[in-house]
Amino acid sequence: MRRFIKMPPQVLRIFLLAVGIVVCYSVARYFLTPESFKQYGWYRGEALAEMANRYEPSFAGRKACDECHSDVVQKLAKHEHKSLSCEGCHGPGQAHSDNPDIKIDIVNFSTCARCHEANPSRPKWHKQINISNHYGGGSKCTECHVPHSPNDVP
Amino acid sequence: MKNHLSRRNVLGKLGAVFAGVMAAPVARTAKAAVQKVFVSTTAPKGYDPTKHKWRMALDISKCIGCGLCAEACKKENHVPEGSFFRTWIERYIITKPKPGSGEARGETIVDCPNGGMHGFPEPTVAKEDILHSFFVPKLCNLCEHSPCVQVCPVGATFDAPDGAVLIDPKYCIGCGFCVQACPYGCRFLNPVTKTAEKCTLCYHRITRGLKPACVEVCPTESRVFGDLKNPVADDPLQKFYENNRVQSLKPHLGTEPRVFYAGMDKEVR
Repeated sequence: MRRFIKMPPQVLRIFLLAVGIVVCYSVARYFLTPESFKQYGWYRGEALAEMANRYEPSFAGRKACDECHSDVVQKLAKHEHKSLSCEGCHGPGQAHSDNPDIKIDIVNFSTCARCHEANPSRPKWHKQINISNHYGGGSKCTECHVPHSPNDVP
Repeated sequence: MKNHLSRRNVLGKLGAVFAGVMAAPVARTAKAAVQKVFVSTTAPKGYDPTKHKWRMALDISKCIGCGLCAEACKKENHVPEGSFFRTWIERYIITKPKPGSGEARGETIVDCPNGGMHGFPEPTVAKEDILHSFFVPKLCNLCEHSPCVQVCPVGATFDAPDGAVLIDPKYCIGCGFCVQACPYGCRFLNPVTKTAEKCTLCYHRITRGLKPACVEVCPTESRVFGDLKNPVADDPLQKFYENNRVQSLKPHLGTEPRVFYAGMDKEVR
């Protein structure tokens, strides 16, 4: 101990400063490293659960639609529109699924046109129409087409 | 140096050790209190990220450019209005070469009005001059060696064990390094939260057993999503890998994207 004190004062000061820095670093590290750090890797593991709870889904998925509207879902599955999701045309349905009193969007002309309006960039296999030439530019698709079974006549 | 093994000395040392042991729980409580100030955790558990391996794949020849995916993504992830997109659709138009120019193909025109959310207007090129034209849906490429993860100065962005590349919004300082580093332009700074954001594969949906919103609404099954560790019967992702020769964007950068494209043209970047 006495030899320590006999150290030249400038060396002692630097030594104490170094010890102080290390102690401060250790204390800060102890207090500030999150609990879940390195749970999965070099990051806060809890961030994953937080990201999972950041938002509530607004699209419910076809399974939720199937619970009440299985007749429509089954009908759709038999026809050309089978790959379509309910919420693609009708809009997000989580609110309607939680509370059926909240009405869901009714499909209109622009919903059909969104996919079926002719565009040279669209793939050739996709059925497209020139809206101004098609049926004299009328805007009631459902007069001639059934959206859930497109090949049927109403 | 003299050896001090007196009673006083030993008792003093024992007392110090005892105080240290007693101080440990106090320190632990203090630590919890300090961390509460910086990070509050209310998130429940029940989803094990190590038991999944999520992947998305895209079939360009099936995309009809309806923009439902881009619109659904905005709604689902509360992406602010304006030119901020977690997923978007680009239209590529490759023109015919000028007669007598000796070229195989003409110039490539790419546009993306409002992320393709509300469809695409008539192209500026006359229909007769178009050699090829197609839509390319874009999203975070979920790179194996992500440049965005490497540049983050605070370690806020990371590669989750389930295949998603995520951003910890509590640790992100909004410096924007990652926005510059991403070679695919998939990131942006959210003007509301002032933190970096990008596609998370709809992390709040996939952890609940739902598909990402864009995959859910895609009418042509151009977007395919699945879990490599838990393939379901008739798995669309496995079928995609079986039926297609796949390619990734900008392979020369060595980022090893985990998002694969089928039917891609060489002009797609």
